[in-house]
Amino acid sequence: MSQPILEVCDLCRSFGGLKAVHNLNFAVEPQTIHGLIGPNGAGKTTTFNVISGFYAPSSGKVVYQGRDVSGMKTSKLAEIGLIRTFQGTTLFQEFSVIDNVRIGCHNSARSGFFSRITGMDRAVETAALDKAHELLAFFGLSEIANEPAASLPHGHQRALGMAVALAADPKIILLDEPFTGMNPDETARMMELVRDVRRRGITVMLVEHDMKAVMGLCDVITVMNFGSRLVEGTPDAVRNDPKVIEAYLGRAIDAA
Amino acid sequence: MREDISKISKWGLGLVFLAALLVLPQVLSYSQREIAVLLVINVLLVASYRLMTLTGEWSLGHVVIMGVGAYASALFAKRLGVPVPVSMFLGASTAGLAAAVLSFPLFRMKGFYFLIGSFAAGEVIRLVWKYFSTPFGGPKGIKLIPGFPDIGPISMFEPENYYYLCLAVVSLSLFILYRIEQSRIGLTFHAIHWQDKLAESVGVGTFRYRMLAFVLASFFAGLSGALYAHYIGTINPTRFDVEEMVFVLIWAIVGGTNTFFGPIIGVVALTIINEIILRSLGFDSARPMIYGALLILSVLFLPKGLEGVVQKAGRIFKARKAPEPTVRREQNA
Amino acid sequence: MTEIILQTTLNAVYAASYMSLIAVGLVLIFGVMGVINFAHGELYMAGAYTVVALYSHLNFPFLIAVAAGLAFVGLLGILMEYSLFRPLRDNPLGGLIASIGFLLMLQTAAVLGFGVRMAHIKPPIQGKIELLGAVLTYQRFLVIAAAILLLTGLYLFLRKTKIGWAMRACAQDREAAALQGISLNQITRIAMFIGASLAGVAGALTAPLVSPTPYMGHSVIVTAFIIIIVGGIGHLEGAVVAAVLYAFVHTFVTTFYDGVVADIVGLVLMLLVLVIKPTGLFGARERA
Repeated sequence: MSQPILEVCDLCRSFGGLKAVHNLNFAVEPQTIHGLIGPNGAGKTTTFNVISGFYAPSSGKVVYQGRDVSGMKTSKLAEIGLIRTFQGTTLFQEFSVIDNVRIGCHNSARSGFFSRITGMDRAVETAALDKAHELLAFFGLSEIANEPAASLPHGHQRALGMAVALAADPKIILLDEPFTGMNPDETARMMELVRDVRRRGITVMLVEHDMKAVMGLCDVITVMNFGSRLVEGTPDAVRNDPKVIEAYLGRAIDAA
Repeated sequence: MREDISKISKWGLGLVFLAALLVLPQVLSYSQREIAVLLVINVLLVASYRLMTLTGEWSLGHVVIMGVGAYASALFAKRLGVPVPVSMFLGASTAGLAAAVLSFPLFRMKGFYFLIGSFAAGEVIRLVWKYFSTPFGGPKGIKLIPGFPDIGPISMFEPENYYYLCLAVVSLSLFILYRIEQSRIGLTFHAIHWQDKLAESVGVGTFRYRMLAFVLASFFAGLSGALYAHYIGTINPTRFDVEEMVFVLIWAIVGGTNTFFGPIIGVVALTIINEIILRSLGFDSARPMIYGALLILSVLFLPKGLEGVVQKAGRIFKARKAPEPTVRREQNA
Repeated sequence: MTEIILQTTLNAVYAASYMSLIAVGLVLIFGVMGVINFAHGELYMAGAYTVVALYSHLNFPFLIAVAAGLAFVGLLGILMEYSLFRPLRDNPLGGLIASIGFLLMLQTAAVLGFGVRMAHIKPPIQGKIELLGAVLTYQRFLVIAAAILLLTGLYLFLRKTKIGWAMRACAQDREAAALQGISLNQITRIAMFIGASLAGVAGALTAPLVSPTPYMGHSVIVTAFIIIIVGGIGHLEGAVVAAVLYAFVHTFVTTFYDGVVADIVGLVLMLLVLVIKPTGLFGARERA
């Protein structure tokens, strides 16, 4: 097995006296789709926020590509290829679709102040615009490139959110509940998109409630409960694990 | 095709406008020329203020920062004998530097807290000027500030000539400000305003960009202060107090802050109203009340400012061809 | 030396009294409406000029003039609520900007009505208390007593009455309060009346001691900002404690050092609080 792209070691994060994440361990292998699931309040979102630099860990480590990145700022993590998305339709709603993706190209379109005001940044900007158009084509959004993001239907907004993240050249992308609020058609389409993203050589990690989607999509699933890891394994192994069934007691796992 | 035509008409309009600006001093009286000089300086002040607001933070210290530029430039020229054109640049840089330092405490705050924080920081600076007679001259400020050196036979003491100087400096500055806003830097400022978390998630260092906006805005505000100081020849802490800041706010808000030209329209329109209409009517002491009423009316009824009115008029004028999307940023991709 | 310290303490207590009245009014308005009233210093000024008009010019009894100041400025508050803050309810920055416009209008009205020069008011109450060589005039004592009385009254009003309860609920969570069937308009109107009239009564009571000018509001609003930030925005008790703290620091630094330095110390104190604990020394929750 190769070196994991992302590793979480004895991670803890508490808020006041509440231990939201407690001694959590897992590793994400390159080029996989890795799911993080668990009942409400299991600490999934907190874990996501710690990995992506929104909170510093109380103790423990986040290791990315063999490098300790615990407590590193979100923007620095983005520079080295660890990109997250947000729940719901967090977008630059006031911008056009293409400008949303252009902002996503921030890392690859760096240029000096002087070249910005003299227009000598045209080469990087043309490249960024091409990349943005390529991504819009990838997500089937080309036709609405100049529409304001706020006018898009829900499913398109979610796809645009992924396009913005992909524009930042991720090596690993963390998807925060990508299927929430989607109808079955949209979910199926989104699953296909996530697989396409992996085909681009990008590792995917996702937090999700929609069991059917997670089971159908992931190579490995980590199940969290009360802030730590309960079970980890393939979808089949997880589905049949009595501990998982117990943790979700009273909830139907609709894929089961 | 239609775009080409609109581009040509834009350029044409620009040229007519430029010609009007160049002829302007010839049709004005002496005292009106003085007002024209101050107006050009204020255009730079309010345009730089708009750059600051792009990231979503409203400062109440912008006029004090203008004062930092004025004080620094005056002191460089008067105490150290630096040639005035150089001292103006140094003054503007000092204002930028002050903003860089202030960024560290101030950008720990957002929104309302930033507003109050910038106000407090500005008041501290003003009190420092007041308290230290050397080198700031205390409450009386600095007098006998060296003027801009004559260029050959052209006396820079003449308002007419100083007007052209200011026009050149301010046009160049506005060009730079405009380019900044139209470039990716401007787009990133907007992005931070609307969704700073999302911007961060794709690699935007939000603190650095907020600081950049503050430093750039302060540099140009400082430059406007330097232009002011070497023209009027005397500055004091009261010149840069919160009342002056209120005027900048009024210009920006009455003009509208949604586009680059809104605040400029605001300062020009209000100066014309002020100088031509109010002065000739002899309403001098009632002027702040009219300003206050204008401010309230525009907040209540003109959320996009005068510039919104101009746009609306433009749209009606153009006849209703294609309905414009309601939310659309100006963009020249 | 003891005399000076005692005298300075008395001065600080006096300053703390009227500053608390002003700051508590500002905090109440912010708490219920979520908007910062930049014209608060001018409401104070309006209270002072009510006394100038009624007591100095028209020879009404002083206390009648003070009561009129309270009522008049309270009504100004209702006017602001109705014409500015209610239409701009979803736009706190707009409300703040509009209050700056209102500030200019009030200031100009005072200039037009009374001129820019200081108004001198003959002291309505003579006499003083002497205490170990330190002096407290009855006039100042009146301000201290009125502040204690009014703030206690406000405290009881907020704790014991239904409207007071509703007001506190509104400050916690406006939407939830609205769901409880509280009439938001009525609550904000009353809050604005109380908040403004506290500033007005402070201006009216201190008018004979400070020689009003149309521009007196400026230093008052700066002081009030420092106090509400240090005390925690939206925190009434915090505002009182911060007012006392600030009054003591400012008065002592002024007496033993210099007035400008005292102003700088106050502002730096506020900046420190903003940087280290923006919720204020006594505040816990954050709004805005």
